[in-house]
Amino acid sequence: MSKQGKTRTIEEINEKIRKGDAQVLTAEEMKKLVESSGVEVAFKEVDVVTTGTFGAMCSSGAVINLGHSDPPIKIDHAWLNDVEVCHPGAAVDLFIGATNMSEKQPYEYGGGHVIEDLVAGKEVELRATAYGTDCYPRTSVKTTLTKDDLNQFYLLNFRNCYQRYNCAVNSSDEIIYTYMSKLLPRLHNATFSGAGELNPLMNDPDYETMGMGTRIFLGGAQGYIIGEGTQHSPKNLNGTLMVKGDAKKMSPEFLQGASFTRYGTSMYVGLGVPIPILNEGLAKKTAIRDTEIFTDIVDYSVPRRDRPKFGQVSYKELKSGSITVNGKKVRVSSLSSIKMAKRVAATLKSWIDEGTFTLTSPLERLPTNTVFKPMRQTEEIPFVVSVMHPAVTCTEDEAIRAIAERIVTKSVNHIVVVDGGCKLRGIVTSWDITRAMAEGKKSLADIESKNVITAKPDEPLEIASKRMAQHNISALPVIDIERRVLGIITAEDVSKLLGR
Amino acid sequence: MGRILIRFNEEKVSEPIAAQIIIEYKVPMAILSAHINSKGGEILAEVPDEMQGKVVQAFRKRGVTVTVPKLIEVDSDKCFSCGSCVALCPVEAISLAEDSTVQFDKEKCLGSTCSVCVDACPARAIKSVKTNGGNGSQNNKDKKT
Repeated sequence: MSKQGKTRTIEEINEKIRKGDAQVLTAEEMKKLVESSGVEVAFKEVDVVTTGTFGAMCSSGAVINLGHSDPPIKIDHAWLNDVEVCHPGAAVDLFIGATNMSEKQPYEYGGGHVIEDLVAGKEVELRATAYGTDCYPRTSVKTTLTKDDLNQFYLLNFRNCYQRYNCAVNSSDEIIYTYMSKLLPRLHNATFSGAGELNPLMNDPDYETMGMGTRIFLGGAQGYIIGEGTQHSPKNLNGTLMVKGDAKKMSPEFLQGASFTRYGTSMYVGLGVPIPILNEGLAKKTAIRDTEIFTDIVDYSVPRRDRPKFGQVSYKELKSGSITVNGKKVRVSSLSSIKMAKRVAATLKSWIDEGTFTLTSPLERLPTNTVFKPMRQTEEIPFVVSVMHPAVTCTEDEAIRAIAERIVTKSVNHIVVVDGGCKLRGIVTSWDITRAMAEGKKSLADIESKNVITAKPDEPLEIASKRMAQHNISALPVIDIERRVLGIITAEDVSKLLGR
Repeated sequence: MGRILIRFNEEKVSEPIAAQIIIEYKVPMAILSAHINSKGGEILAEVPDEMQGKVVQAFRKRGVTVTVPKLIEVDSDKCFSCGSCVALCPVEAISLAEDSTVQFDKEKCLGSTCSVCVDACPARAIKSVKTNGGNGSQNNKDKKT
């Protein structure tokens, strides 16, 4: 140790790794050591802390180079196992995006699965077409390939390893399928992602040791951080990494294709970063616990960029299996694998212990001041709230005649049935009243529709409009989360605004 | 207690067969899930082990298909223990072990009558078993021909 034992350098640590003397702990072990012996002792004893995460990381993919065919082809469109891959560069360079889906088995098989299959040594089928040029005359090619046939096969992930992520719930009346998996209606379950206290960025939140050139564990092999990931947002603890690694050396255990029903395909990536304990501050930071890491509970049923939140929750609570949302106990489960995250950290530890993995200093640290901006939009779209108007209401004890009069005087077709607290009970239309007259029905309960299709104020109008068409109805009461009636929108309002 | 899956076709569904058998055999049959309409349907029920054989025979004699269900199949090679399925399970048949491995309790699982976890598995490691020829359901096979 240099400077009177207050700091150590990466060179000193690497020297110890080569001699087999380095003290390496997983993030899990480090937290226990700091708890039992304190930061000072932990700093003295520990050289490196290994972290890990294993989650669905959609902004992942692989660059491959096929070599030239004879006669040569400048590929215009290409498919691997029926998954369209992009052709971003010259003749035979392709990029396999994890979320691109198979044309034959959409949602079930995609780019992530192609990468997994190639990594596992399986043969994949290539189809490609081209327009033909003087120098690249060929217009189509079909062949099979394994990773050994490729010149380069590099994992190149734009955004991996989110420092933390939302906890997702669904307050609507219908099941929704999202990238946060299946969310049951009326807050019946919750999902979360991220490894919490095991996450690489959470263990070095000021990015003292991470940046371009940091050698890491990626998909079961050595890889590198090549910079900040897209949407890197360090100020609110949402840092991300852009990473690269030689996929030919990776393992399908740590790189797995994934299918999310009605969302699409993705890829689970195992990623771990070794954190050199260069000073006492880093010993303290790597002791962070799940109780100190919080995230928002977000309502994914609202189809907006800024979705409503139900407060915050710690990773400790998330990992416990149940949380409280809106005063209600909700079961919660993880989307990323904590088991595999631990395995990543343990494997990285074993590599350093064996001396096959040494540490690098970043050439440039990850930025700490980037801001993640929303999209600049030159056109605004209308929302339900922009056309909603007050609903004409009645209560269940009113006579049909009184309701019929109200339809006439207010000149509306829909009367919303509410209770004393203005909560939605049903809906009656002028058609229902006509039917009551024809059939001699006397009571509102006989004619009102109880199963009311509704809209929320902050929904895009387009979505509400589709819902009306789907159910073949001409109005939607607009309600809040407590089912209080806020207003109504009608097909007429929609067609005035959307022009259809 | 053992589980049986009772399937009614359109013709049989209107008869009160389950009620008759419960009364006749005095069997404390617990109904775990039921999906029935005028076109037919199925009931997943639990009966005491010592009465299972008798009850299965009684249903079959009345022309109802009964299987002893193999509920779900989990491919442990594909499962990477993310845990997406855990909170979805209505009967808490799925849990995380001490080492965060996802584990299934097939005794609790409602199988094909539920299947809420199946399409939520990103590894596609869970399959619900809809028909089952095993466990002495020879009658079932005969009926199909």
